[in-house]
Amino acid sequence: MSTPDTCVRARAEIVRLTSGINGLDDSIEGGFPFPSVILVAGSAGTGKTTFAMKYLCEGAKKGEQCLYITTLSEPTQWMMRYAMQFDFMDPSYFDDQIVYMDLGDKLRTMKPNEILNVIDEKIAEVMPTRIVIDPLTVIGNMMGGDYRQFLFDLTNRLKNWNAVTVVTGEVQPNELYPTEIAYAVDGIILLLLSDEVVTRRKYVEVLKMRGTNHATGRQPIDISRREGIIVLKARF
Amino acid sequence: MNEKDLYLMAYLKDNLSAFDNGPVLLDVKSTQFVRVNLLLLKAFSSMPGRPGMFIAVDRPHHYMLHLMGMHQIDPQGLIFIDAISRFAADTKNSHSPANLLNAPSNIDSLPSAIRDWAGNSPHPAPMDLQRCRFAMIDNISSLLLYNSFNNVEVFLQDFIDVLTSHARVQIPLLVDKERNCMLYEAARSLCPHEISVNDGILASMSLTSKRNGIARIVDSNEV
Ligand SMILES: Nc1ncnc2c1ncn2[C@@H]1O[C@H](COP(=O)(O)OP(=O)(O)OP(=O)(O)O)[C@@H](O)[C@H]1O
Ligand SMILES: [Mg+2]
Repeated sequence: MSTPDTCVRARAEIVRLTSGINGLDDSIEGGFPFPSVILVAGSAGTGKTTFAMKYLCEGAKKGEQCLYITTLSEPTQWMMRYAMQFDFMDPSYFDDQIVYMDLGDKLRTMKPNEILNVIDEKIAEVMPTRIVIDPLTVIGNMMGGDYRQFLFDLTNRLKNWNAVTVVTGEVQPNELYPTEIAYAVDGIILLLLSDEVVTRRKYVEVLKMRGTNHATGRQPIDISRREGIIVLKARF
Repeated sequence: MNEKDLYLMAYLKDNLSAFDNGPVLLDVKSTQFVRVNLLLLKAFSSMPGRPGMFIAVDRPHHYMLHLMGMHQIDPQGLIFIDAISRFAADTKNSHSPANLLNAPSNIDSLPSAIRDWAGNSPHPAPMDLQRCRFAMIDNISSLLLYNSFNNVEVFLQDFIDVLTSHARVQIPLLVDKERNCMLYEAARSLCPHEISVNDGILASMSLTSKRNGIARIVDSNEV
């Protein structure tokens, strides 16, 4: 609660959306700048989808509207089977607050501009404050030459909506992030695996976050049924 | 729009109907400004013969127009005053008749322009002020990016004065109390009434709309 005494800032501050990931928000001044487009990049199994789910559930819990766009042609039940194992996931979120959109078929049949319009229309219909596109990089494989222009148009349009969009990017184990997406986004979060073969550990690193004095360097994370992803530093 | 939106619209309409003249403060989360603006426009548009003005300082007015189209909200009778398009050089799709201000920092010129519409200005006024029933600003706190706090305060006072002296006008002022507490205090001193649209209200609305279904609730509020 704010009283006039503590009420000293007259200038407009950046609005932020909490990520819902325990320990991460402390490293980014409380959350993602609103509106913005954030890239979550990592190789296979590093936790990108878990990150995205936790982020959406954080919004749904607060009564926000969310839009989950998959590019994988996965039927809802398939995604739900994995999503429902998490304690923070409430199936009733999918009644109205988290709207699921499968872009997979459209990617195969539509032109880039038509895809943009379909996304636009869905966003206008749902009016989400939180959007996820998971994984965005799949589009690149399908689209070929038009991909860079598509990414540019997509991120531009997304920034015009009042939402924070998390796009996930798959990379090879030796890559940090997909460079063609990185230049167009406001923030980059890396999910990393360490090199040790026996005790391979998972890390998160905030590489860039516009308008934000963010922590640098890797922080260990844990993935669990109870919390999804947590940043371990936060426990101490 | 889903059930929760309709429920929220009914809530806004119901609460606003008690105050048909002057400013009403709405405590709204910053992230919900666009949604609440749209729901207010929908609520107002369902009252026929109630023209109003929408002042865009946060995002070019064609975004709101696009959203209104998507949600079947009739823009008839609504005039847009756009302070951001020219400034942001974002004039695409601005085929709709909007009145452009040069920049959000020129907002202090708006009340005197409105005063001219009511008086004997040589230029044709974009609307008959006597018939104006509501006036909205998409995001007052955005004005703080381009104007001093003091100027915003003076503007709000002037804006409310000029409108209410010429007509019975509802002026919903959206402020995020938690985020912009000084602006909230300033707006509160101008507004005799307040409506809360905070997290608690939104969350309870999801629950209620899930539990009850929306049909009955909307009926009871429909005039
Ligand atoms: N309940 C759980 N407990 C512990 N670890 C889990 C649990 N669920 C998932 N994980 C870990 O998270 C990984 C998968 O996470 P997720 O699907 O979010 O990753 P991803 O980066 O989206 O993967 P992909 O490249 O397949 O899209 C699993 O491989 C596993 O290591
Ligand atoms: Mg995945």
